[in-house]
Amino acid sequence: MKSALDQAEAVQGAAAAAVRLTPRRGRLLREMAKRYDLYLMLLLPIGWYLLFQYGPLYGLQIAFKNFSPAKGILASEWVGLDNFHRFFDSYYFNRLLWNTFTINLFSMLVAFPIPIALALICNEIPSRKFGKWLQNITFIPHFMSVVVIVGILNVFLSPETGPINALIEALGGQPIRFLEDASWFKPIFIGSNIWQNMGWQSIIYIAALSGVNPQLYEAAKMDGASRLRRVWHVSLPGIVPVIVIMLILDIGHFMDIGFEKILLMQNNLNIEASDVISTFVYTTGIQKGEYSYTAAIGLFNSVINLILLLLVNRFARKVSETSLW
Amino acid sequence: MSKQAAASKPSDERWFDAIVYILAALVMAAVLYPLIFVISASFSDPAKVLGGEVWLLPKNVSMAAYQNILHNRDIWNGYLNTIIYAAIGTAINMIMTILAAYPLSRPDLPGRKLIMVVITLTMFFSGGLIPTYLLVKNLGMVNTLWALIVPGAIATYNLIVMRTYFQTSIPWELQEAAHMDGCSNWRMLWNIILPLSKPILAVMVLFYAVGHWNSFFNALIYIRDESKYPLQIVLREILMISQSDAVDANVGLESKVLLAESIKYAVIIVSSLPMLILYPFVQRHFVKGVMIGSIKG
Amino acid sequence: MRKQWKKIAIGTMIVPALALAGCSSGNNGNNGNASASPSGSSVVSETGFPLTEKPVTLKMFTRIAPANGPFKDMPVFQDYEKMTNVHVDFTEAPTDGFQEKKNLLFASNELPDALYRSGLTQLEATRYGASGQLIPLEDLIDKYAPNLKKLMDEYPEIRSGITTPEGHIYAIPGIVTLGAARTDKKWINQAWLKKLGLQMPETTDDLYNVLVAFRDKDPNGNGKQDEIPMTARAGTPGQGLPIVNLMSGSFGLDQQLGYNINIADDKVEIWMGSDRNKEMLQYLNKLYKEKLLDPQLFSQTEAQYLAKQGSGATGVFFDQTNNNFLPIQDQYTGMAPPAGPHGDRLQAQASPIARDFGAFAITNVDKYPELTMRWIDYFYSDEGSTMLRFGREGENYELRDGVPYYTDKFLSVEGAQGKITPYAGGGAPHLIDDHVASFINPPQVQEAQEKLDPYMPKVRYAAPMFDEATAQKVNELRNDIDKYYEEQSTKFIAGALSFDKWDEFQKTLKKMNIDELQKIYQDAYDTMKK
Repeated sequence: MKSALDQAEAVQGAAAAAVRLTPRRGRLLREMAKRYDLYLMLLLPIGWYLLFQYGPLYGLQIAFKNFSPAKGILASEWVGLDNFHRFFDSYYFNRLLWNTFTINLFSMLVAFPIPIALALICNEIPSRKFGKWLQNITFIPHFMSVVVIVGILNVFLSPETGPINALIEALGGQPIRFLEDASWFKPIFIGSNIWQNMGWQSIIYIAALSGVNPQLYEAAKMDGASRLRRVWHVSLPGIVPVIVIMLILDIGHFMDIGFEKILLMQNNLNIEASDVISTFVYTTGIQKGEYSYTAAIGLFNSVINLILLLLVNRFARKVSETSLW
Repeated sequence: MSKQAAASKPSDERWFDAIVYILAALVMAAVLYPLIFVISASFSDPAKVLGGEVWLLPKNVSMAAYQNILHNRDIWNGYLNTIIYAAIGTAINMIMTILAAYPLSRPDLPGRKLIMVVITLTMFFSGGLIPTYLLVKNLGMVNTLWALIVPGAIATYNLIVMRTYFQTSIPWELQEAAHMDGCSNWRMLWNIILPLSKPILAVMVLFYAVGHWNSFFNALIYIRDESKYPLQIVLREILMISQSDAVDANVGLESKVLLAESIKYAVIIVSSLPMLILYPFVQRHFVKGVMIGSIKG
Repeated sequence: MRKQWKKIAIGTMIVPALALAGCSSGNNGNNGNASASPSGSSVVSETGFPLTEKPVTLKMFTRIAPANGPFKDMPVFQDYEKMTNVHVDFTEAPTDGFQEKKNLLFASNELPDALYRSGLTQLEATRYGASGQLIPLEDLIDKYAPNLKKLMDEYPEIRSGITTPEGHIYAIPGIVTLGAARTDKKWINQAWLKKLGLQMPETTDDLYNVLVAFRDKDPNGNGKQDEIPMTARAGTPGQGLPIVNLMSGSFGLDQQLGYNINIADDKVEIWMGSDRNKEMLQYLNKLYKEKLLDPQLFSQTEAQYLAKQGSGATGVFFDQTNNNFLPIQDQYTGMAPPAGPHGDRLQAQASPIARDFGAFAITNVDKYPELTMRWIDYFYSDEGSTMLRFGREGENYELRDGVPYYTDKFLSVEGAQGKITPYAGGGAPHLIDDHVASFINPPQVQEAQEKLDPYMPKVRYAAPMFDEATAQKVNELRNDIDKYYEEQSTKFIAGALSFDKWDEFQKTLKKMNIDELQKIYQDAYDTMKK
C-alpha cells in the first residue's frame, strides 16, 4: 500500500517542483514568450472578465451614495456609510446575520459530506448497473424548480392531509404544523436541499473517483487492505484535492443563500428562523428599487465571504497543499 | 472496475457489499418517493391532488393535463427558445471555460497565480444589477439572446473545477513528453488534454446546460418580447399564479387557477424531460475510466 | 499581493469610460425631448376625436397579468387606435418580475413615453418625479383631461391623495367611485345559519357563538367535522394581515391615511401598540386556538382560498365580489360588521376613491404629453370605461337599459374576459363607477355592501403624499415597523407568542420610533387639512 501512495505522491511532487521554479526576469520573459500561445488562449476569457466582471465594478460605489437614476452613478450624491449604518442599526440585523450564519453552518456540517458518501457508495457498489441507477435517480430532483420542491414540501408536511402527519397521528401524536414553526424551518430547509442536490453534487466526486489510478487499488489489495481500508486510504485521498476545492468554494459562499426557496417557504410564523440577508435584500431592496441600500448589504456580504475564503484557502494550502491559487 | 474481477470474496467483502446495497436502497427510496408522487399527481384528477388524496399512485387517472400542455403555445414556444439558448449558450460556455482553464492549469505558466486571483475575486464582488444592465444595454444586447448568454459566458466556479481537474488528473509528465515531441499547446489541448478530460467535459456540459435550462432571472430583466421568453418564465407564470392577491386581480382567473393547478405537475415533468434525457448520454463518460489506458500506456 | 492589486486597478480603469457612455446617452435623450416637446404639442387637437390628424405612436410600459392576453389583441386598444389615430406600442412585463423591470427602466434611464397600469408606489412617484424622469401632470390635467378633472373636482380627496407637498401630480390613479369595489364584503353562510336556527351575529360575541355552532353542529350534514367556520386571505408577507384589517373596525381601530391610524379631534394615532389592538389580537387568538379560524389562515395560497369559497364548506369569509362562488351564491349573504366589546361598529377596511395609486404616469421622453393626457383621459369617462371593461358592443357586451352587461355567450367561454380587458388583473388606470359595474356589482353584492355602508367612516383619508426626503424616512421607518407588527401579530393570533410579552412588543415599537412615524403622519394630516 505504501508503494502505491508513494507513487501518487511522486506524480504530485513533479508538478509541485515545476511550480517552485522561480525564474529571474530575463528568463521570465523568455518563459512567457515561449508560451505565447497559452496567453493567446487566455486573451478572450481575460477580456471577458475585465469587461463583464470588472467593468461593472465601478457600480459598487453606489453603496456609498444615494443613487439617483437621473443623475447616474457617478454624479449621485455621496452619503458615506449611511447605507451601512441603516443596515447595522436595523432591528433585524442580528437576526439576519444569525440565521444566515447558522443555516450555512448546519448545511456545511450536514449537507457537505453527504454527496461524498454517495459518490463512494456509487463507486463501491459491485453491480455497475445498480450504481448507475442510483446515480441516475438521485440526480433527478436537481432539475425540479424550487417552486415545485416547496410545493411538494407543502403537500408532504401538511397537518391536514400530509402522509407524515398521518403517520404521527397513527402513532398517537398530535399533528405538527412543520412549515409554520420556526424551530422546524432549518431542518426542513436543509433536509430538502440535501434531497434535491446530493445526487447532483456527487457527480463531481464520481468523476474524480473515476480518475483515481486503478493501479493504486491493485497495489492496496496486494498489501491485503480490506475494502473499507481501500476506500479510506485510496479512494478518499484520491479525491481530496477536489473535496478541498469544493469546500473552499462552499465556504467562500458561506453567506450566500438563494432567496427564492426561502422566500417561498417563508411566513410570519417561521420568519424568526427564515429571515436571511438574501431575502431581506430582495424584499426591501431590489423589489423596491433601493439599489444603494442593496449594494451596501451586498458589499458587506461579499467582504465577509472574501475574508472567509482567504482564511480557508490559506489553511487548506498548509494542510493539504491544495488551494485555489 | 477491475477489483470486481477478483474471483473469490472474503466474508468481510460480502458484509461490505451488503451494507453498501442497503444504504443505496435507502437513498434510492427516499429520493424516489416524492418523484413518484409528482408523476402520479400529474396523471391524476386535480381535485384529488388538491384534496391530498394522491399519495403514491394516481387517483382517477386522467391525461387531461398533458393534453392541455400539448395545446399550450406559450409552453412550446418557451421550450424552443430555451433549447436554442441552452445549445448556443453551452457551446460558448465550454469554449470560453476551456480556453481559460487549460492555460491556468499549466504549472509552467508565469503569472497564472495572479490571473487566478483576479478571476476568483469576481466570485465575491459584482457591480450589481445596474452597471451590468447599463453595460448590456450599451452593447445593444437587451432583448436579444446574447443578453442571456454573454454576461454569463464563464462560471468561475466551473472554471476552477475544470482547472483543478486538468491539474490533478492529467499527469504533467505526459504533457512534458508531448512537448519534447514538439507538440504545440493548441495541439496539446486538442489532441491530448480534451480527449483525456471527457469526464469533466461531460460534467461541465451538464452543469452549463442545466444552468441555462433553469435560469430565468436574466430573462426576467433583459427580455421584453414574450415571443423570446424561455421556458422557465412561462413556467413561473403558470406556477406562481396562486400568489396574487390584488383586489380585483382575480377576475377571469378562476379557470386559469384551476388550469394551473391541473397542469402544474405535468408541466414539471415535461419541462424537466430534456435534461433527464441528456444525462444518460453524458453519464457514460463518467464511469469509463478514461484515464486508465493513456497514463501508463 | 501589491502587484496584483495594481492589475486590478487597471482593470477598473475601463470603468469611467463606460459610465460616461451610460450617462451621455441618457442626457442626449433628455435634450432631444426638451426641444421636441413644443413641436410635438401642435399635433394634438384640443377636443374631439381623432386626437391627432397625423398618426402618432406612443411607447408604453405595462404590466400583463396572468389572466390577460396580449394588449394589442384587446378590442379596446384596437378600436381606440382607430378612434384616436394614436398607436400604442405596449411593452408588456408579466406581473411576476414587474417591479424589478419597472425600477430598472428608471435606473437605466431607458424610459418609455408613459407607464400604463404601472402600480407606482408613492415613494416611487415622488422619487422619480423629483429626479425629473416623471413629468408633473397637474397643468396637463387642467387643460387636457376634462373627465379626470371633473372627478377630481367632485371628489377633492383624489387631488389631495395624489398631489405632493410641492403641488405636483406625478401619477394618475385608478379611480373607484363605486363604494362596493373598495371593500371586502363579509360573507356569511346563511344556509348554515338557517339550518342551525341561528340569528345573524350582531356582536363579536355573537359571531364567536355562531362560529362555535358552525364548528360543532355539522351544518353541512355530512357527519364529519370538516366545516371551516371562518377564513380569510393569507396575504403577502410584508403587505399586512388581511384578517387584522378586516376585523379591526369592531375594536374601534380605523384605517385612515392608508395606515393603521385612528383620527379623532384632528389627532392622529397609530394604534398598533394600543390596548384596543391587544383586545382584537386576543379575540382572534381565541378564535384561532379553538379552530374557529382556519388553521391555514397564514399559509394558504390564493387558489386554495378561492377553492374554499366555491366549496360551500366555509362559514364566514371575505371578498369584494361573489364572482368566486357564483354557482352556490344563494348559500351566502352579506353581514354587517359585528359590534365589539366597546360597542365599536366600523367597516375599517376600505380603499380610498383613488384606489389604485400610480396607475398611469408620463415620462420626460414623451414628445406628446398633451396627446398622451388626452389619450388616457377618455378612460375616466363612462363611455371610455365601458370600452375598457367590456370590449365591443355585440361581440362582448350588450346594453340593457343603457347599462353594459357581458353577453351570456361571451361569458360562457372560460377565461375570455381576462383576454379582452386590462382591468382583469387589477390596477388599470380608469374609472370604476356604478355604470360599468354590472359584473362586479350584481344585486347580491350591492346588498352585502348596503350592510356595510352605515358603518363606513364619514371621511376616508387616502395615504398622504410626502416630499422625497420624508417619503424616504417613512419608508425606512415602516420597513422595520410594519414587518415587526405583522410578524408579532401573526404570532399573537397563532398563539406562538404569549400576551405576557405585550409590554415588550410595545417597547420594541417605541424603539423602532413609532412616535416619530406618528408625528410625520400628524404633520401630513395637518397640511392636508389646511
